[in-house]
This record gives sequence, structure tokens and C-alpha cells, in this order.
Amino acid sequence: MIECSHVYMRYKSGTNALYDINIKVDQGEFIYIIGPTGSGKSTLIKLLDGEEVPTKGSVKAVGIDVGKLKRKQVPVYRRNIGVIFQDFRLLPEKTVFENISYALEVINMKKPQIEKRVQEVMKVVGLEDKGDSFPRQLSGGQQQRVTIARAIANRPKVLIADEPTGNLDPGKSAEIMELLDTINKKYGTTVVMVTHDASIVNRYRRRTVALEHGHIVADLSEGGYVRHDQ
Amino acid sequence: MINRPLKEGFRGVGRHWAMSISSAIAVTITLLIISIFVLLTWNVNHFTQNIESSLDIYASVDYNSESKEATLKKEIEAIDGVESVTLSPKSAEFDAYLNSFSDEKTKQAFEPFRSDNPMHDAFYVKAQDGSKIQSIADALSEMKNKGEGIYEVSYGGQSTISIVDAMANIRKIGLVLVIGLVLLAIFLIQNTIKLTISARSTEIEIMRNVGASNGFIRSPFLIEGIIIGVLGALIPIGLTIWGYYALYQNAGGVLISNMFHLVEPNPFVFYVSGLLLLMGILVGFIGSWLSVTRYLRWKR
Repeated sequence: MIECSHVYMRYKSGTNALYDINIKVDQGEFIYIIGPTGSGKSTLIKLLDGEEVPTKGSVKAVGIDVGKLKRKQVPVYRRNIGVIFQDFRLLPEKTVFENISYALEVINMKKPQIEKRVQEVMKVVGLEDKGDSFPRQLSGGQQQRVTIARAIANRPKVLIADEPTGNLDPGKSAEIMELLDTINKKYGTTVVMVTHDASIVNRYRRRTVALEHGHIVADLSEGGYVRHDQ
Repeated sequence: MINRPLKEGFRGVGRHWAMSISSAIAVTITLLIISIFVLLTWNVNHFTQNIESSLDIYASVDYNSESKEATLKKEIEAIDGVESVTLSPKSAEFDAYLNSFSDEKTKQAFEPFRSDNPMHDAFYVKAQDGSKIQSIADALSEMKNKGEGIYEVSYGGQSTISIVDAMANIRKIGLVLVIGLVLLAIFLIQNTIKLTISARSTEIEIMRNVGASNGFIRSPFLIEGIIIGVLGALIPIGLTIWGYYALYQNAGGVLISNMFHLVEPNPFVFYVSGLLLLMGILVGFIGSWLSVTRYLRWKR
């Protein structure tokens, strides 16, 4: 599903972000990518969703060599990848329903289909009664559910969650983790979750890839938080 | 789906109406100057063609050289820029001189001189275009100074030519001014659109993340730029049509003297208006294109 082989990333500014990254993620897997700030987690996400092109090596996802995509092909490729952010990124002047339907409108889905699909995903995330609410009327956890609904509305094969629990208290974090787990199990969506929340990684054990200074320092299939001191 | 970019575009103009208006004013000023510039240039070209077609250079022949007129004619024809040379014999010149008087009495008084004609044979030299007149006249004067058979050189409308020259200079200055103003207008529109973009950066981010194409993201901003350009073009178009008609009617179709015939307003002003609208649209389009493209480029 995702395959990084010998990926090096050096930004134009001269910063070296990743060195010889090799990761293989199967369809339906759920993995954590952990590491301190500046370890290269964000760069890895940018390579996955096609925002950046690796300096060396190849990044493949859903059978597509992401680095080789032409600028024009990137938007269509992105429809295979759902992304969730720490800061939610909801449109404040739109209702929950509109926020989700918006994501389908911009890829030119037909109105009746949009209607049906939005109802479906709102049920998946447990917000079926909140369609007319505005984001400011919701709690942080509920807002994150809306972004999850938006991310999965287009049935992406891969879901990238960038610190999805970063702004939430432990109780809400647990709810989000369970929701991601459901999506992973029920729909077979591959989930790549970037985090530095040790308690979550230790509690919900999954395959864990640890990055530090742009190197993979651990890739543990049994999971658990890794503290790597050089 | 077609009205989405339109709706969003208008919303963008409304959201930053102060910036939008100031950009539109920049477009207005630019287009007003372009309008004046085009009206002037077109009319100057019109004048120049009129004047040029009526400009002959007169070169009279030295009494001693009358036998060599055929060679002289060939020499003059060889001067750069000469279109045609016609010889008018002294008798015809005398008639022309007499005809310049309107009353019969004076004509009668001069009649006795016909037998001892004081006039010279003369060449009338036609130039290929107005800009060549000066150099041809200079060449003829040189022939006169070297004693090569020319007695006198003159051409009408030296002052007219200097007016035409002055207008050509105005045109050059105008062109520089217009280019500067067009750049300023593009710059201002670019900044206005930048504001809209930053106000909607989250939205753009989301669109990108869910896979909206660049064209889809870009179109409302382009519409917004075009709306500003069109808004800016309205006043100049109105003023051009109204102002030129007023000028034409008040001046009776001529300027200063009969030599300067103004171009007929219909359909001339409508061509100019079309040009202004096009310029407005183009300036708005380019301004927003630059802005959006720069924004969309920092990410793939």
C-alpha cells in the first residue's frame, strides 16, 4: 500500500530532513510514526501526500510513484489520501454538514450522492444529530470527528492523521483513537498516525516506526514507545 | 458549477471592498490615460496622413541650368525617399502666380511681364512619407548651395511638421507613462487578491488536501481580478464615449484649423471602449494570476 525505499530528502534551503528511509506498510495496517520535533515526521507526510518530491529514492502509495507525479496529477492522486490535522482546519462559517459536503463538492461529486454520503459518514463518526451545528458550537473532540468524517468521505485508501490527539484531553483522545481503529478495521483503510503522545502509543499497541534526526531508529511490529538517546 | 467561481469571485470583491476599490481606481486612472493616449494617437495619425498627402517640395531651377532639366530631374529622383518629381514650366508658374490674386485688376497689372517671364521652371517633389520631407529638402538645398542648378527650395508647413514631431514625442512619453501605470495596476490587483487568498488560506488548504484541482482553486480568484478590472474600466469607457462625442460636436469635427480633421466618433469610440474593457480584463486577470500562481506554487 505504502512503500518508501531509500528515500532521502533535502530541502532547497539545505536542510537535510530524511536519510535512507525504508518503510513498507500493507493494506489495512495501522502504524504510528513517532519522534521528536524536527525528526522528519512532517516531511514524511508531505512526501506521502505529494506536496514534496524526494531528493532520492521512491515513495509509492496506492500503486502510484508519488514523486514522479506531474503537478497536474497530484490533486487527483490526493483523492486517495485522507488527512486529519491537529488543528482541525474546519471552515468556521460553514455548518458541520457543509464542511463535510464541501470536500465532496470540490471534487465535483453530484449533489444527491453528496447528501447520501455525508449522512453516512456523520453516522460513522457519531455526529448524525450535529449536521446543522457550527464548529464553534462543538467540543474539540467533536470537531476532530468532523475532520475525520471529512477525510473519509471520499473513501480514501489511506488515512494520514497528523497529531490527531495533540489538542485533546486524554478522554477525548481515547474516543478519537477508537474511531480511527473502527475505520481501520471496518473499512480496511490504512492508517498512518503521526504522534508524540507516549501514553497513546503505549496503550493502543500497534506497529511503531520511530524517527530521529531523519533516520529510522526503530520499527517495532509489537509497538510501544521508544525513547532513543544517542 | 459554473456559477461557483462567479459567486466566490464577487464575494471576494465584497470582502475586501476597500482594497478592491483602490485597485479599481488604479485601473481607472490607467485606462483613462490609455484612452486619452489612444484618442490622441489615432487623431495624430489621421492628421499626419492628411498633411503628408498634401506636402510637396518646391524646387525652382536656375536660369542657367534650364537646358539640363532632364538630368536634374533624374538626380532629384535619385534622392532617398522621393516618390515622384514633376516639372512645371515657367509659363505655368506664371499662371499660378497670377491666379494667387483674386481681383482681376492686379492680374491685369502683372500681365505685361508674361513676355519677359521672371518666374523659374520648377520641380514639384513628392515624398514617400512625411518623415522624409525634411531630408529631401535638405538634399535639394545642398544642390542649391553647390550651384548644381537649383535656385530656390521651399516646402509648406514647416510649422505643421514640427507639430507632428511634438505629437510624436507626446506619444513616446505617453507610452512610458501607460506602461508604468499598467504595471502599477497589476501590482495593486495582485495585492488585493493576495488578501483574499490569505483570508481563505484554510479553505485553499482543505481544497488541496481533498484533491481539488488547481484550476478549481484558481478560478474564483481570477474572476475576482477580472471583476476589479471591469469595474475599473467602466468610468473610462463612459468618459471616452461621452467626452469624445462632446469634443467632436463642439469643435465641429475639426481642431484649430481645417487641416486637423478629427476622426468620426462612430464607430471609433466604440473600438476604443472595447480596447479599454479588454485592457481592464487583461490587467485584472494577469494581476490575480500572478498572485494565485505564486501561492499555489510553493506547494506542489
